[in-house]
Amino acid sequence: MSETSPLRPALVTGDKSLGDITNDISAPMAGTPSPLWWAAFLIAFSALVLGVVAVTYQIATGIGTWGLNKTVGWAFDITNFVFWVGIGHAGTLISAVLFLFRQKWRTAVNRSAEAMTLFAVMCAGLFPLIHMGRPWLAFWMLPYPNERGSLWVNFKSPLLWDVFAISTYLSVSAVFWYIGLIPDFATIRDKTKPGLRKTIFSILAFGWDGSARTWLRYETVYLLLAGLATPLVFSVHSIVSMDFATAVLPGWHTTIFPPYFVAGAIFSGLAMVLTLMLIARKTMRLEDYITVKHVERMCLLMLSMGCIVGLAYGTEFFIAAYGGNAYEQFVFMNRALGPMNWAYWTMVTCNVLIPQVLWFKSVRTSLPLVFVITIFVNIGMWFERFVIIVTSLHRDFLPSSWAHYIPSLVEIATLIGSFGLFFTLFLLFCRIAPAIAIAEVKDAANVKKREILLEARNEPPQIIDTDPIPANVDPSMGC
Amino acid sequence: MINEANKPESLHHANESGPPMDNAIIPEKDLFQLNRRRFLEAAGFTFSAVALSGCTRPDPELALPFAELPEGIRPGQKLTYASSCVDFPSGCGLLVSVRDGRPLKMEGMPEHPLSKGGLNAVAQALPLGLYDSHRLKNPLRLGKKSEWKDVDEAILKTLSSVKDSGDAVRVVTPTVTGPTLKEAIDTFLKQFKDGSHITLDTVSHSAILDAHEKTHGARVLPHYLLSGAKVIVSFGADFLGTWISPVEFTADWRTNRVPIEDDPQMSYHAHFEGRVSLTGGKADRRYRLAPDEFGTVLNHLYAMLSEKAGKKVETAKLRKSPIAEADLTSLAERLWDARGESILLCDSQDVAVQVVVNAINHLLDNYGKTLDITKPSLQAQGNDREVLKLIDELKAGKIAALFVAGTDLTHNLPEHGKLAEAISKVRLVVSLNERNDDFSSIAHFVCPDHHLLESWLDAEPVSGLVSLSQPLLQPLGNTRSILESFALWSGNKSSAYEILRTSWEKNILPRSKSKSFRKFWDQSVHDGFIEASSVAPKVSEFKTEAVALSPQAKPDEYCLSLYTKVGLTDSRHAHNPWLQELPDPITKVTWDNYVSLSPTTAEKLGVSDGDVVSVEAGGSNVELPALVQRGQHDRVISIALAYGVKGTDRFAKIGPQWLESRLTVAEGELVGKNAAPLISTANGSLSLTRDDVAIAKTDKRHELAKTQEYHSMELPKNIAPYGGEYRDVVESTTLAAYKDDPEAGMHEKHFDTSVQLWPDDHPKKGHQWGMSIDLNVCTGCSACVVACQSENNVPVVGKDEVYRQREMHWMRIDRYIDGEDDDIQVSHQPMMCQHCDNAPCETVCPVLATTHSSEGLNEQVYNRCVGTRYCANNCPYKVRRFNWFNYSHEDSLVNLALNPDVTVRARGVMEKCSMCVQRIEEGKIDAKRRGVELTDGDIQTACQQSCPAKAITFGDMNDSKSEIHTTLDNPRKYGVLEEFNFRQGVSYLRVVRNREEGDSGEGGHSNHDAHKHSEVTPSNSNNIVNLDEKRTSETGGKHV
Repeated sequence: MSETSPLRPALVTGDKSLGDITNDISAPMAGTPSPLWWAAFLIAFSALVLGVVAVTYQIATGIGTWGLNKTVGWAFDITNFVFWVGIGHAGTLISAVLFLFRQKWRTAVNRSAEAMTLFAVMCAGLFPLIHMGRPWLAFWMLPYPNERGSLWVNFKSPLLWDVFAISTYLSVSAVFWYIGLIPDFATIRDKTKPGLRKTIFSILAFGWDGSARTWLRYETVYLLLAGLATPLVFSVHSIVSMDFATAVLPGWHTTIFPPYFVAGAIFSGLAMVLTLMLIARKTMRLEDYITVKHVERMCLLMLSMGCIVGLAYGTEFFIAAYGGNAYEQFVFMNRALGPMNWAYWTMVTCNVLIPQVLWFKSVRTSLPLVFVITIFVNIGMWFERFVIIVTSLHRDFLPSSWAHYIPSLVEIATLIGSFGLFFTLFLLFCRIAPAIAIAEVKDAANVKKREILLEARNEPPQIIDTDPIPANVDPSMGC
Repeated sequence: MINEANKPESLHHANESGPPMDNAIIPEKDLFQLNRRRFLEAAGFTFSAVALSGCTRPDPELALPFAELPEGIRPGQKLTYASSCVDFPSGCGLLVSVRDGRPLKMEGMPEHPLSKGGLNAVAQALPLGLYDSHRLKNPLRLGKKSEWKDVDEAILKTLSSVKDSGDAVRVVTPTVTGPTLKEAIDTFLKQFKDGSHITLDTVSHSAILDAHEKTHGARVLPHYLLSGAKVIVSFGADFLGTWISPVEFTADWRTNRVPIEDDPQMSYHAHFEGRVSLTGGKADRRYRLAPDEFGTVLNHLYAMLSEKAGKKVETAKLRKSPIAEADLTSLAERLWDARGESILLCDSQDVAVQVVVNAINHLLDNYGKTLDITKPSLQAQGNDREVLKLIDELKAGKIAALFVAGTDLTHNLPEHGKLAEAISKVRLVVSLNERNDDFSSIAHFVCPDHHLLESWLDAEPVSGLVSLSQPLLQPLGNTRSILESFALWSGNKSSAYEILRTSWEKNILPRSKSKSFRKFWDQSVHDGFIEASSVAPKVSEFKTEAVALSPQAKPDEYCLSLYTKVGLTDSRHAHNPWLQELPDPITKVTWDNYVSLSPTTAEKLGVSDGDVVSVEAGGSNVELPALVQRGQHDRVISIALAYGVKGTDRFAKIGPQWLESRLTVAEGELVGKNAAPLISTANGSLSLTRDDVAIAKTDKRHELAKTQEYHSMELPKNIAPYGGEYRDVVESTTLAAYKDDPEAGMHEKHFDTSVQLWPDDHPKKGHQWGMSIDLNVCTGCSACVVACQSENNVPVVGKDEVYRQREMHWMRIDRYIDGEDDDIQVSHQPMMCQHCDNAPCETVCPVLATTHSSEGLNEQVYNRCVGTRYCANNCPYKVRRFNWFNYSHEDSLVNLALNPDVTVRARGVMEKCSMCVQRIEEGKIDAKRRGVELTDGDIQTACQQSCPAKAITFGDMNDSKSEIHTTLDNPRKYGVLEEFNFRQGVSYLRVVRNREEGDSGEGGHSNHDAHKHSEVTPSNSNNIVNLDEKRTSETGGKHV
């Protein structure tokens, strides 16, 4: 696609040829799955079943099976929603934004990040649906012509904006993901013996012929879609944040929310991508494609987002103090020192304090440590939403209506179920589609370039066993 | 209320001679004016009546809905009938809304001289008691279903043997004010050589009557006229909540509690009590005083007043007063200055103490002014000595026949086991109670009485005021009126209707000015009450010699104080889930009784809310959860009576049943525990106060379900922001400040909310409904809560759901307790949808299920609601209620209590106060039909209608003649969270306490407020000067 200096460190290690790359990446799709995959799938699927049971029971019985009350009308439901939407942000960020910024290292992770986006948004979309008192009437949220005197939806409601934002994001992410998959589907099609499997991949490959014209069209479309998806990264979570920011509730009613939520979303998304990458790397033997250097880049991005989030936490307190609104001041005092302060301090510890260790290169390159940190960030970011939603609601204007909140078993099972859905889908994805974008990795792996270099030296490529790129080159990859 | 359209009419037009069933249809005067049409009607109807009577029991007084409607009456139309609440001795006037033959809603009767249109929560809950499948449907014989014929035969057989042997027959009832029932019981008892009627009240006021016997020579209960009292001093008498006749007293008390700008006068109300009562919370100055020390303080007060009257009283022997002498002196001064315009009330059950109370009222020249003993009250006639004598007689086996009606004898008296054993020795035990209660289960026969709404009865709550209660539907079960039962056992087979008419013709007609009985009767049934002459009791001059200041006994470590709750005044109502779920106005606890302890005592015992404590007195022991109550006296342990009623385990599964739900009543338990075993029978009285009590902590827990978790307007100290420590959602000021500036106490305003971005967007034309609530007279009695529940089909959710903070009440009463422990201020604030013009809920609903009407109402469209709960989250008042489940009804009979004008909401939708939009529409349609303009008062919301204090004003704010319009200019008017510019349709009128600025314990709030106010009106230089003075004097104060 573009020229890359040979001085750049290799993004793919292990000295792969183009054929190796194809074979390595498509390996998990063929043959029987490994016991590790089965174990993971069983756990994930059990969690999904638990969630399905919980949600079925809840829809059959009533929202009362959740721990909500007259004062706290949202808790786990919307927390999970915002959490999953946030997770879904890294995918598009990595595929679209980093693509536009010509960050080649993204190729190792963009496919799984996009898949993750898709599944996370699916999980997220579930919660607004099931949190309704009458979910069977959820289609009333759509502005469609109807016979109820043409009863329209309320365009002033941020919940409606959510409907548009989430559905747009889901469809654009799905198209973007699919377009990216087309050359890979074609590769697999070509590798597969005739039969049903080949037919399916032929259809999915959309008649890809690998000609220069096809490539040209493909790359134009991909670039355009990347351009289209980029604003969504910022708009979706901004709109989600308006669910809160446009409300009158102290603790929700703040103008900082859109950037704060976007930063938080990217933060949590990156953490989740890292978590998954580190697992996939080990379980699917992709160490050569997802290298320590990739992980380090991601860590730096995560660190910067973590600092933005930390700044946002501080700003909230400052504005509450500076703004002079006693109700708002109380909400923040209550968050930090009130009965639910444990949630607040969990959030601060996980999101702001722990990621600070990423300033050290030794930590960034230690994969087990990074894994632990990403788990902390995932937990912290879930708590961030919980803190915003529940601690603002449970003690609002009139002291008479203050209430406590304790989640019910059904709510906890639903949260577990959403993880089950996410991982089940992700594990299935690993089996039916290439988890790494083969075409893009090939481009980034500089195989061709190396071949040309080697050719110039009149040496046959297959006997080269040393890395032609000096190992001590500055690892910085940024523009 | 009574207008042409729903003119109260008797369903029972007298027609003794006519065919049995048509008396409900053909008005008397038309009977003999037959035309063709009328003839065919009558003929057709007679035919069907004959056909019907062939297969059913003929009944001379069938109460049937109109089978053929008179002109102008539509099916489903609400008809209003006058009646009276004779179930309660206070005898409030009732207007019962009946629709298609179903009584649905109890309303107060504005013309009634006592209740003046008010009604309490218990009376509001009557329809649910009526449609209760657990009421007995048949007479019982030895606990088994029986027939009236067999039961009567057996009873009469035993009675004739008793008659022959001349043994003792006793009838026990709570206070009976009805002359006809009294006469029926007397006639019945006259057959026997030794027959007497004994009155047993849940809370006995026997000592007041006994004291008057001593001081005035007649055993009477004075009729307290609070409207004439400028200074009210109460020792424990919860006259706004439960004491004798709270609805009447609230209405009377209100007359002097509304300060007006031109003449800012208010009565002064000082209250001494051990527990925290509704009345104590409302007092201008509340003193903590254990009930066993009332005597000591009253003795000192008497001595001080005597001195003022020029008579020195020896006080050296008296115990030292626990109340500071300065406080007592100033109180004595106030009383003395308001001679003839003051009143002293006391709930002590010690006759000696009540004698001192009488002496003080006499010294103050109050008799004949604020206390009327020439037309005395008949609302409490309990006689403890007689009850105790009965118990002795029972134990001695001297009673041959025992009849009990309207009270659960064994439940309400101590020593349950011994009493039940003694009763088992009685030859004939008959219960006339509505239910198979504790006493009925040991009775040989149960002859269930009708429900109040099925009965013909009368009442005379105060001498000279006789009221009628008429049946509003055919009895649901095979029950029999108590009048008929006693008449039958006296050999008179008349119907209750005949008995009542005969009695009225004989006894009441001569007391009235009317000559024609028929006219008199029709008028009485129409009006529901008449004012008749009465014979004054023979009252002597005040006997000074009766007054002796006896030194009171030294108080013990603890003092037990038993009481009844505002929502549950009597064990008979324990089967009413509306009342069980009604939060206590002070503690906000539902579905339980508990042991209230002061914070200090709780700390000493090491208990907190929900820890079970064991209270032991007189050999009886009750284990109940503790409740820490601010403002309670440290020595006082208070427990509510009327709990632990047999059969209340039926409510175990009243709430939704799901995975994590807990039962409303634990296995093998009842709702609360019966505290009656702790009643003391020493000193010849049924005393609810005793000193010989021990309390100990147990290791059990019993969670209490409260509707409010945080109880103060002062925020928790550790997290309160600087300058925002206090949320004055209930604004208050003092009378002194109000005199200087009627707007004193106004919340500090940062924003000018009069400016609007698009003022012309929604022109406020036509009707603009608004409501205003005068917090100064709102007592928190919670009648409105039940009225709203009854009117708007608000479901009962059970204890577990309340515990999870999911009660459904559309109208709730927020209660805040502030101030120091020995001088607390309790604020009540009815809170419901504020119908904001800039409603935060409306903008956030994605499907437009909540919208604003052109008449200023915030409307909830149940059909459209998908249940996102976003509106509830965004509601600053948290008044929206979500249907978490489908709330089931116990059985289909309860469904008859549903108001057909209001949708029953399904699971998953949001609901909230609609400002009784169904009543608004009904009023508008009615006015349109009659071709007239709506006038103020045509439409009344359910909460407003029966408020005993008339604290709620509702109407069209655009109507310049309306009452609500005038309140808009009231200087006390404010809106809760006004500064957020929600532009609510509901406003409040600020509390004014009759206190001096410098009074201790005001917590500095009012000073603080006044100070804030002076900041926003700097032109008021007087205030600023005052402010500076205050600052210097208050430097040590915590709020400065």
